[in-house]
Amino acid sequence: MSFTPVPSKDRLLKLAQLTANIFHRAYNPTGQRVGGKILRKQLIGPAIIKWYPRQLIPFRRLRLALPEVELVDAREKQRLLDAAQKRKRGKGPPKKGQGKRAKIAARRKK
Amino acid sequence: MSTDVIRRFARCRRDLFVRQQVIRKEVTRQALRYITRNETLPTRIRQQAQLAINAYSRHARPASIMNRCTEAGRSRGVFREHRLCRFQFRMKALNGELPGVKKAVW
Repeated sequence: MSFTPVPSKDRLLKLAQLTANIFHRAYNPTGQRVGGKILRKQLIGPAIIKWYPRQLIPFRRLRLALPEVELVDAREKQRLLDAAQKRKRGKGPPKKGQGKRAKIAARRKK
Repeated sequence: MSTDVIRRFARCRRDLFVRQQVIRKEVTRQALRYITRNETLPTRIRQQAQLAINAYSRHARPASIMNRCTEAGRSRGVFREHRLCRFQFRMKALNGELPGVKKAVW
């Protein structure tokens, strides 16, 4: 019968320490939590910002960014046209003191 | 149409805001988390780190991110792979807008 001698616990620990030293590993015989798994995690930032597609730049910001370029805001142009048309038909905004609220207030005074 | 999902849906805007907040706080938050979980550090420091994490706004937590449909803004039934809710996914797939997706027939 062959007998292999079992090294003592102290010697095994020393061996572990030496191996850790040589191979630049952490020596943690008691298994304490060091929190390395948190540092090892990849940052999620780059992934989560990609969820929504890239947004169109609002016209106002574009014009602010490029003041030297003359840009025509089609929507604003149409709005001005519509407002002019409405004014022609007498449907424009009322003058100061001729609105609904002012009229009610005037009636109350009487 | 899909480009203005943020403009059309306030909840998507909110979610985008949360994402930006999470990104802003992520590195410091992870560092604090590391301190709290590290048993070799003094208890007092670990507690202080935990308190600092707790003091962050709720938007700094990655768990507050909600994956919303990039077409309809819906929060439920969203396929992560296509970032679409089930109905939008169906419509797009039937229109042939999703490469590689085909209606199964057997």
